[in-house]
Amino acid sequence: MGEKGRGDVLQGTLDMLVLKSLQLGPMHGWGITERLETGSERVLQVGQGSLYPALYRLERQGYVASDWGTTENNRQARFYKLTASGRKRLAEERATWARMSRAVDLVLRMGEG
Amino acid sequence: MRTIRDAVMRVLGLARRGTMERRLEDEMRFHLDMLTQQHVRAGRSPSEARRAALAEFGGVERFKDDARDEYRSRLLDELLQDIRYAIRVIRRNPGFGVAAALTFALGIGASTAIFSVVHGVLLRPLPYKDPDRLVVLWERQPGQGNDRNVVSVPNFEAWRSRARSFEGMAALVPLPATIGGAPNPEHVMGAEVSPSYFETLGVRPALGRAFASSEEQNGGADVIVLSDGFWRSHFAADPRVVGRSLSLDGRPQTIVGVMPASFDPPRFAWLNDQAFWRPFAPTENNRGWGRFLLVVGRVRADVPVSAALREVQGIAAQRATEDRGNEGWSANMVGLAAQITGDARLPLLVLLGAVCLLLLMAVTNVANLTLGLVRRREHELAVRRAIGATWGRLLRQIVTLSAVVGASGCLIGSIAAVGGVHALLALLPPETPRSDSIRVDAPVLLFTASISAIAALVMGAVAALRGGGSGAASLRETGGRAAARLRGGSLVTAEVALGLVLTVLAGLTMRTFEKLRSVDLGFDADHVVVARVGVSGARYRTPEARAVFFDQVLSRVRALPGVQAASAVSTRPFGGMAPATTLGDASAPVTGDSVEADVRYADADLFRTLHVPLVAGSSFDARDALDAPPRVVINRTLARRLWPSENPIGKRLRVPMFNGIAPEVIGVVGDVHLMDARTPARGAIYLANARFPMDALDLVVRTNADGAAMAKSLQAIVTALDPSLPVYSVTMLDDMVGRALSRDRFTAALLGAFALVSLLLAAVGIYGVFAGDVAQRRKEIGIRVALGAPSGGVVALVMRRAVTRAVLGVALGTGAALLAARAMRSLLFGVGAADPVSFVGVATLLLLVAVAATLVPAVRAARVSPLVAIRTD
Repeated sequence: MGEKGRGDVLQGTLDMLVLKSLQLGPMHGWGITERLETGSERVLQVGQGSLYPALYRLERQGYVASDWGTTENNRQARFYKLTASGRKRLAEERATWARMSRAVDLVLRMGEG
Repeated sequence: MRTIRDAVMRVLGLARRGTMERRLEDEMRFHLDMLTQQHVRAGRSPSEARRAALAEFGGVERFKDDARDEYRSRLLDELLQDIRYAIRVIRRNPGFGVAAALTFALGIGASTAIFSVVHGVLLRPLPYKDPDRLVVLWERQPGQGNDRNVVSVPNFEAWRSRARSFEGMAALVPLPATIGGAPNPEHVMGAEVSPSYFETLGVRPALGRAFASSEEQNGGADVIVLSDGFWRSHFAADPRVVGRSLSLDGRPQTIVGVMPASFDPPRFAWLNDQAFWRPFAPTENNRGWGRFLLVVGRVRADVPVSAALREVQGIAAQRATEDRGNEGWSANMVGLAAQITGDARLPLLVLLGAVCLLLLMAVTNVANLTLGLVRRREHELAVRRAIGATWGRLLRQIVTLSAVVGASGCLIGSIAAVGGVHALLALLPPETPRSDSIRVDAPVLLFTASISAIAALVMGAVAALRGGGSGAASLRETGGRAAARLRGGSLVTAEVALGLVLTVLAGLTMRTFEKLRSVDLGFDADHVVVARVGVSGARYRTPEARAVFFDQVLSRVRALPGVQAASAVSTRPFGGMAPATTLGDASAPVTGDSVEADVRYADADLFRTLHVPLVAGSSFDARDALDAPPRVVINRTLARRLWPSENPIGKRLRVPMFNGIAPEVIGVVGDVHLMDARTPARGAIYLANARFPMDALDLVVRTNADGAAMAKSLQAIVTALDPSLPVYSVTMLDDMVGRALSRDRFTAALLGAFALVSLLLAAVGIYGVFAGDVAQRRKEIGIRVALGAPSGGVVALVMRRAVTRAVLGVALGTGAALLAARAMRSLLFGVGAADPVSFVGVATLLLLVAVAATLVPAVRAARVSPLVAIRTD
């Protein structure tokens, strides 16, 4: 990933980001990577090697459900959607993330007025 | 824990491999295509774009591995969730859990116990090398119904020397013998066997050697091979026993070998326990004895058994032309396993079939219990379905529930089966072959696990398919109710049909047992002690010496206090195989002497001792001395057969024994069942002991004393006359008669127990169906009551359905029971396979059970308040 300014998704945040991207509506794996890259202005990059295991894991945990569907180009793809417990999980993760990033921010600003 | 989890995951991964791999493949291809398109849009050529996409995608196999792991553990997690759910449900419904697990355990335990008997006796391979190639060879008389006749020495020699289809062939003769001598003589059973016997079976001695083929020459060598048991009990397992000497009937024998503990000699026909073996030697003498050999053979591996039989039959046909005595005789062959199993086979198969029906009933009941539980949770299921649980998941949970019930039932059942097998072994008829190979072991448990798994699957499938649908149905309300009306009906039919088959079989065997017990045996076995005494050695070589010895014994026995009568006979009633002959009226032409008659040697008091009525003439007296013309007492059947309208007294028989004799008939006695209660009495002749002194006789003593005391007194009398002679096989005659019925008692008792359990299961099952049904239809019943239905009408409404279903069950069950009874016809006695008493009685019983089981729910239905109708759920 040589390009400057681009980085892998932070460990532990991938699940939250995937859930968030699905909050916009059901989507297939490729679409999720696109949503994450566009949404992060191409800063975040999600490798396939971690995306699909994450999707399967979330499905096993019951946060997402999947089914075959048709893309806008009329192709068969597996679409993932958020379940009720997935929505709840996303809310919890966001709260945790907000607390954490605020805490990190506070620490970084120490002594800066 | 970790390794178990991994193992389970791997299994699940394999099971679901197809689905998972396809999904991975499809998602990966889609993703790659999209990536490629992106590169094309950015201006690369398609092939270049593809290459770039692949490079970017990275290690395809690693991706698959990672994804696969997640996929597998999802299934495992769901399974664990389902198991936890099942346990939670069972704990919240402990009544269901206990009833279901115990019902299932009952079915599994009973099947396992019976199967371990069947496996031990019928299925476990015989403990010899390639046991499938071992056969028993018999002579047979086609057209005479005589398929398994013992073999004459010349015929055995001809088969052995001329047949090419056999690796080995050996003759066997039981050899009862007295070992040791004064002061501790002992009677033991052994066998004379051809030297090739052990090699034919494929067994080797643990110590020393087997017989050499030269040891059957010149009348046979004085060598002996011991069984492991005998070696341990009589030689304290001395490893240097080979070369030592052992006295057998007063003749020293050199011990040449000891068989291993694992050697279980074949037991069939009259060959039973074998403590030792001696070489059997064909001699000029025994070539003239007629047919008395048992023969086993090993068919060569490259020869079909049928071809071997054809060859032996061909040789038998040659023999029929070589020797007049072989006219009308052929040969027959039976697999050794089938021969040993013999009569035990059918009763065991019947029991196995019966226990399978019982298991089926248990499974039906558990399925019904599960169905009831699922129905009670209809609302929960409907809600879960509505919020997105898939059908598959709900059905899988119900099946998992059954699996948990099945697993606990299987565990309890297997443990119970171990106890059950002990109980069965104690009840088992003593003559059951191979009873020492009956145990609950790995193959048996594999059977248990397999049938448990199948049964649990069936129970789960029934509950899931018939109950799982109700989840959605209850939301659709009325449609679900209409369907519910018919639920459980087929279960009632099945319970009644299965219960009827079991109870009819039990009824038939119990009536058989009663008929057998009430057979007039022709003698009075109460208060009669029998004991066998044999003489051997130089001292008794002359007939006079034998006659004098037994005379002295009997006169001393008669003097004992409490003895009312005492006599001696060559073979006691119910004493197993004994001589028989074909004979005729001496004044008739020689041809056509085809009357079969049993032959017994007795003294004058036998009939008085056994309370056998003297119908005409008189018994033996002092005229029946050693060199006097032979005289005979015959039974009523023979008298009627030979002289239907004449007085038989004073007539003469033509008997081919002793080189042909023509004894005068001096008396006619009542018929006696000499073999068992089942076999009808046939012609019998009694010759005088004093005229034909045997070397072993059964003492028959009518006494008030008990058997053990009498045994002591008899041994004391014999010892006083000759301390080297043992008294053996001491028993009460009525015990022998009882033992002869033990197989029928065993079958009847077990089938009776199965039938009782099946009636209970049917009652509980039918009650469950209608109790649940009435509970579900309270509203409908309430409306009927509100509209003025009399309570009698409501009872009738429920009962009518029960009776219709039960009648259908009776019809189906009767058909099945007729077929089953026909298959076991040879076990029946005195009742027909379509015995109307059993069939009508049992059908009535089953209907009564069905009615009784429905009555409580029906009455409960009649008490439903009309208010129920206006209440909403």
